[in-house]
Amino acid sequence: MIDHFALSQAFGLLFASFEPWLWVVPGLLIGLIFGSIPGLQISMAMAVFLPVTFGMDFLQAMLFLTSIFTGGAYGGGVTAILMNIPGSSSSIATAFDGYPMARQGKHNEALGLGLAASVVGAFVGYVLLLLLINPLAALVLKVGPMEMVVVVLWGLTLIATLNDSSLSKGLLAGFFGLMLSQIGMSTTGVMRTSVGNPHLLDGISVVPAMIGIFAASELLRLRGSAYLVQDEAQRDIAFSRILRGVGETFRYPGVLVRGSLIGAVIGAIPGVGSSVANLVSYGEARRTSRTPEIFGKGAPEGVIAAESANSSSEGGSMTALLALGIPGGAATAVLLAAFSFHNIVGGPSFIRNQTEVVYSIILGNLGQVLLLAVIGLLMLRVLGMVVRVPLAYLVPSVLAMCAWGGYGITGTVAGPLTVAAFAALGWLMRRNDYPVAATVIGLLLGRMMEGELVRTLQISNGQPFNYLFERPMALALFVFMLMVLVGAPLLKALRRRKLQQAGR
Amino acid sequence: MTTRFPATHAALLGVVLAISGFILWSAVSASTSLNNLVVVAPVAAVLGVLLPVILASALRKPAREDVGSGAWGDLLLLAGFSAFCLALTHVGFDVATFVFVWAGVVMSGGRGLWQPPLYAAVFTVVLVKGFGSLFPYPMLTLVF
Repeated sequence: MIDHFALSQAFGLLFASFEPWLWVVPGLLIGLIFGSIPGLQISMAMAVFLPVTFGMDFLQAMLFLTSIFTGGAYGGGVTAILMNIPGSSSSIATAFDGYPMARQGKHNEALGLGLAASVVGAFVGYVLLLLLINPLAALVLKVGPMEMVVVVLWGLTLIATLNDSSLSKGLLAGFFGLMLSQIGMSTTGVMRTSVGNPHLLDGISVVPAMIGIFAASELLRLRGSAYLVQDEAQRDIAFSRILRGVGETFRYPGVLVRGSLIGAVIGAIPGVGSSVANLVSYGEARRTSRTPEIFGKGAPEGVIAAESANSSSEGGSMTALLALGIPGGAATAVLLAAFSFHNIVGGPSFIRNQTEVVYSIILGNLGQVLLLAVIGLLMLRVLGMVVRVPLAYLVPSVLAMCAWGGYGITGTVAGPLTVAAFAALGWLMRRNDYPVAATVIGLLLGRMMEGELVRTLQISNGQPFNYLFERPMALALFVFMLMVLVGAPLLKALRRRKLQQAGR
Repeated sequence: MTTRFPATHAALLGVVLAISGFILWSAVSASTSLNNLVVVAPVAAVLGVLLPVILASALRKPAREDVGSGAWGDLLLLAGFSAFCLALTHVGFDVATFVFVWAGVVMSGGRGLWQPPLYAAVFTVVLVKGFGSLFPYPMLTLVF
């Protein structure tokens, strides 16, 4: 599986001098800062700093850009935990339990949990990439629209488990999100509706909508409180408590490993990646937990599942880039641009002819992950200070940043207005116990679902069910999903009934 | 005041019904092909079932508090936020941010005569010079 000669050459490339590592720490810091400011995205940071890499050699440039990627992935989780603002769609599930933990005064522990899960997840993702880059690349090539439909369906099933008060409200919130995803031009080019607004031709921009419905609507509700954490004694930033959170992560090895594996596999699918991986991982953690009722109210397992999956998906997303030369998302597209900057073409010939460079990129990323643990621990003390700011000042400031963030993503007034509209929708939903997360999931996955369904219909000549039986991978995924969703709860109920009968 | 069906819940269901109805009508008017309605039609059907179910269960529940005084404060801040979002590209990011943060601090309970405007001014400068310089798009400002 591993070319040992190339591996030893890779060690030589990485450790013969300090130069490849020179830009790793600045890259991690840039990523952490961009990731933790709402509206500034990792891909944006990578694009801004891409010209800087022109003077670097290829390996140094790759390590610099991937360190921004690694730092940014964790930075998005920090704001999700402290302010309920997922930095990107890959941190949505982190906010589900991270933010309730922060409000209970467990922000130190939540940040520690997130950091440890991110480090372990990213580490597992890159180790899998190192071991399985060739078979994974072959697997990615076999993924077609039918397989994507099954994966997206899996992500959508989370909607049914997210309900603050009743199942019908959770479903309504999720299906309304799906309906909103249908605004704008369809995937086949039919102009459905844009309400006469050219900004809506491509549909609703998901990140500003997410900022509005998650963060802005919550900030409106916080207005009456004095601090984010009510208990003064809990408001401190304690290194020991962050470390306790780090330690607590390893009390849930199953959640950690499962999240990392889900992230690595789903992350390897171009276009789906980390957005779905963190949701699927969270949903699975909740379904298999002994205490599913505490999910959404500050369950450590929820934070671990989400963060481990979104971090390991980073390794997964590099699979398609390195092995096939296909960018799985915006961040890997910038990496592909860096490839062309240095006259390198990704794909099978790159792996075959420059295996040592591929290995050194992967090994360099493993090193970055370890450095993230140190830098993250040092930075968390600064980032965690937000709980000490009086809400009278924090609420309008973060609201202003939310609007700026909306503009930073779209570049037009449509961004801030989307934030405002979804803030109002989120406020109405929260006030009446509707889960806002379900709407975001519907909005995020709806368009993806439509595109894959249409492609499946076209390929299958309108016979999707017959086509399913011609796709062994899709069929296997579908059967596995059914077993997990229907079989596992049935088995659990059966076991409970047997135990009750034995008790009598 | 107590009510069986809070006004905010009625407003939410009204918004869901109106927007979903409009999207469905618009999609069907554009094209009735399967490719165009593959998501819209089933989703609309499920929403059509869920809305009356939620309405009926809400009406069966005991009376609860209607929009309280806290809600009016939230709505006022929301209105201010919406006006701020609209003003960003019209009066400039700097002036709009300064006015919104100042007013927001006062509305959220910030005390003192000079502290809120001073904070708003410092925050605006940091945002314009820091956050704004990282934007890949041109940003309208009036002062800076």
